[in-house]
Amino acid sequence: MSESSEKPDTNPPTPPASAQVGPKVPSEQAASNGKPGQPFEIAVLALQNTTLFPETVVPLAVGRQRSVAAVEAALATPEKLIACITVRPESTAGADATSSELYSVGTLVMIKRMERLDDTMHIIAQGTERIKVIEWKQQEPYLRALVQILPEPRIVDSEGVEATKRNVQAMIQQALALLPGVPPEVRVAILGSVEPVRLAYFLGSILNLGVEQEQKMLEAETADDLLHLAHVYLARELEIIQLRSKITSEAQSEMDKAQRDYILRQQMKAIQKELGEDESGERAEAEMLRERLTAAELPEEVRKESERELKRLERLPAAAPDYHVIRTYLDYILELPWRKSSEDKLDLNEARKILDEDHYGLEDVKERILEFLAVIKLRPDTKSPILCFVGPPGVGKTSLGRSIARSLGRQFERLSLGGMRDEAELRGHRRTYIGSMPGRIIQSIRRAGVNNPVVMLDEIDKLGNDFRGDPASALLEILDPQQNNTFRDHYLDLPFDLSKVFFIATANQMGPIPPPLRDRMEVINLAGYSDPEKLQIARRYLIPRQIRENGLNESQLRIEDEAIELIAARYTREAGVRQLERNIGSIARKVALKIAQGQVESVTITADIKDYLGAPKFYPEQARKELPAGVATGMAWTEMGGEVLFIEATLLPGGKGLTITGQLGEVMQESARAARSYLWSHAAEFGISAEMFRDYGVHLHVPAGAIPKDGPSAGVSITAALASLYTGRRVRPDTAMTGEITLSGLVFPVGGIKEKVLAAHRAGIRRIILPLRNEGDVEEIPEDVRKELQIAFISRINEVVDVALEMLVSNPPPPIAIGRDHTAVQPDSEVAAVRQV
Amino acid sequence: MPNANRVFHLTAIRNQVRPSGRLWSPAADVYHAGDGWVVKVDLAGVSIDDLEIVLSDSHLMIRGCRRDTFYREGYTYQQMEITYSRFEKQIEFPCSIDAATLTHDYRDGFLLINMRCK
Ligand SMILES: Nc1ncnc2c1ncn2[C@@H]1O[C@H](COP(=O)(O)OP(=O)(O)O)[C@@H](O)[C@H]1O
Ligand SMILES: [Mg+2]
Repeated sequence: MSESSEKPDTNPPTPPASAQVGPKVPSEQAASNGKPGQPFEIAVLALQNTTLFPETVVPLAVGRQRSVAAVEAALATPEKLIACITVRPESTAGADATSSELYSVGTLVMIKRMERLDDTMHIIAQGTERIKVIEWKQQEPYLRALVQILPEPRIVDSEGVEATKRNVQAMIQQALALLPGVPPEVRVAILGSVEPVRLAYFLGSILNLGVEQEQKMLEAETADDLLHLAHVYLARELEIIQLRSKITSEAQSEMDKAQRDYILRQQMKAIQKELGEDESGERAEAEMLRERLTAAELPEEVRKESERELKRLERLPAAAPDYHVIRTYLDYILELPWRKSSEDKLDLNEARKILDEDHYGLEDVKERILEFLAVIKLRPDTKSPILCFVGPPGVGKTSLGRSIARSLGRQFERLSLGGMRDEAELRGHRRTYIGSMPGRIIQSIRRAGVNNPVVMLDEIDKLGNDFRGDPASALLEILDPQQNNTFRDHYLDLPFDLSKVFFIATANQMGPIPPPLRDRMEVINLAGYSDPEKLQIARRYLIPRQIRENGLNESQLRIEDEAIELIAARYTREAGVRQLERNIGSIARKVALKIAQGQVESVTITADIKDYLGAPKFYPEQARKELPAGVATGMAWTEMGGEVLFIEATLLPGGKGLTITGQLGEVMQESARAARSYLWSHAAEFGISAEMFRDYGVHLHVPAGAIPKDGPSAGVSITAALASLYTGRRVRPDTAMTGEITLSGLVFPVGGIKEKVLAAHRAGIRRIILPLRNEGDVEEIPEDVRKELQIAFISRINEVVDVALEMLVSNPPPPIAIGRDHTAVQPDSEVAAVRQV
Repeated sequence: MPNANRVFHLTAIRNQVRPSGRLWSPAADVYHAGDGWVVKVDLAGVSIDDLEIVLSDSHLMIRGCRRDTFYREGYTYQQMEITYSRFEKQIEFPCSIDAATLTHDYRDGFLLINMRCK
């Protein structure tokens, strides 16, 4: 049927009459090409359930006697033309319908081919023009009518038509992607077809719209209406196609999975058979599970639930997706230590020994732990609070937890909460989720294998929370003795008794811990170690451990104290000993390598450690020999421990008020303002001329580093710096201070005294000014450090002036000359040089 | 009858619909010959009276109508493969042919159109 896909080259430009050869086409239907012509009589083929549109080629089978007669009548004419008109849908007469049951608009059709097979004529019909019945001429033996050619639908709004057409073509593209059966030439034809009317008619004939809608399209008078109809119908059809294809592909993937599971099961059976195992593996499996369930010591509720699940399992074929889910669940239940506890061996002397064995120093901490354990021993059933170790990294929080477990003879499980955001991580996902699992709490219980392990909730201050639920509130329930005996994990969906678990939490700071959690905890602070303590820890614990771990023995590696001190001072900056241990570890590895290569037999590490660790990484802040007026040494607390910092004040001639750079923040500004106001209002008392406040602004630089929360503790140092600036009396360089101030000149206590004092001591400071109400905290400072220090306690701000500022002033230098020149106002170049990192 | 032609077995199977023009269109060969063109069109059985040839700019339009003049009383069609009724054929040329002189002729059932550009 090559002709049926001829190049559709219609609608030629109107030819100029000049080149005409021969006469005009004399056909009786010559008046076509869109112009209504003379009425003519023609045989009519009644179409049922379908519409033949102009500009389409359709194969038709003609079997009814009356239809055959109509086609034969058409073939008997010179041009083989016939009118195809559709029977109205409400008619039941089919092809035998009378003329009144037919629509009155149809299509003039060219019969391009005909062949007879048995009693049926198969024709290929090409629609050419729309026609309208003017008068029915005959019913029998076939329908005949007087018809008139209707004009081709004209374009009214060409831009609108173009837009709609583009839309339609885009939709066709989508539809074709989902219809793999469409022949390529059709694809080309519709997507290439640029003639809107032809495109619409073609869509009308392939979309299966139903006779009524097809007829509407056929009768459309304008291209605009026609294309609009095509667009609407196509949109609807596309939706159906998309839906259908979605359903099919879903069914497909469903089947693929089932198929895959089935194949795997079959393979498993084959393997089992090969291994001589029972063929009815499923039954055996269920049987085995039943035996295990009977043998297991399960709480009543758990037993009931697991038996119910087992029954479900028995009814399922092994290939069912649920089978595996239930199996895993039952396994989990069987493995959980519902009733299994380890026996406590709580001997306080033994516990003391173990704590000492594992940790140097930490006397108070160990004392507190032992007290805590004593309570447990005396009244095992009391709901004790949760121990929480708070302190900077590397001070031994985690390892104390381990020691506690060891001294109690319990299993130890560590659970890091850092960054955990999802409640489900703690509590698990419901079993309906594919691949769901119990939460971390239940997982660690299973790992422990007993229901009374020591569980360390590490980094509880780093717990996150967001839209997925608040893990902190789950934690609250877990830690609440009233509730945790019936803890419900989402996956297990059964109550598990956590009341025997010994929870210990750790945190770097108390700040971020939600207050309700805080209330439930017994906090033990670990402040960090002094240099001598670090030395002892390294000598007694870290070095022997690293020697062991690197396969060496004590005679092969010796590290001298000098070297350890150097590492602590120049290669690490920490309150704990983690970096120290890491550095010792890398020395040990390098030595082990040398020994293994036969280069040496043993190594002694002296202060010359550059070969092992490279150049020093830190130059600790050191107390300066001399401070210019306006600079004071403060002490700050950071997560890493303590730090000394230099607070610098400069006068700004002609300036106004207070400019603060460096560590900003409300609190800091308030402290600074309070300090300045206090000095101003007591100017006379300190021998300051009031003009200084009026005529000069002040630039205050507070170096970054201290955490903002620690802001208020800079109050005393800021006051000292300002007092020094205004009086010209320098702050003693060997003195460091901390404390919060109020507008009325009171000094309030601050936190982190031990860390701060240790840091100041490390920096070479020997005089410390502390708030009077922090007097008690001094006990925490190791004796060897404390005895080298002179500590002054103050309760009012004026005292700082007496203690910190040098008494002897030669001539108070003019303000401008104090300290530095103007350009140095900006940052603290001098400080930076000292702190270079 | 060759099997290849039995594509049209069933009533209006939708995906057997093909888009087409309104008319049919005969096959044609175009020869480039010296200073002109010779166009040969497969148009047997078309009376010269039913033919219209139009030149305009760079295209040649041939249109007309093929009528079955063999059919008589008492005949019934057993098979029909020749397409009748109105046809149209447009041929594009790479240059303007407006001014060409045009002669045409029928030979062995082909319509031959001779175009001479001066
Ligand atoms: N007082 C100490 N005595 C002996 N070793 C210590 C001491 N403090 C810390 N360590 C060791 O330092 C390392 C870091 O301690 P770790 O418990 O991980 O610190 P944290 O949990 O506080 O960050 C561990 O190897 C630990 O054994
Ligand atoms: Mg830790």
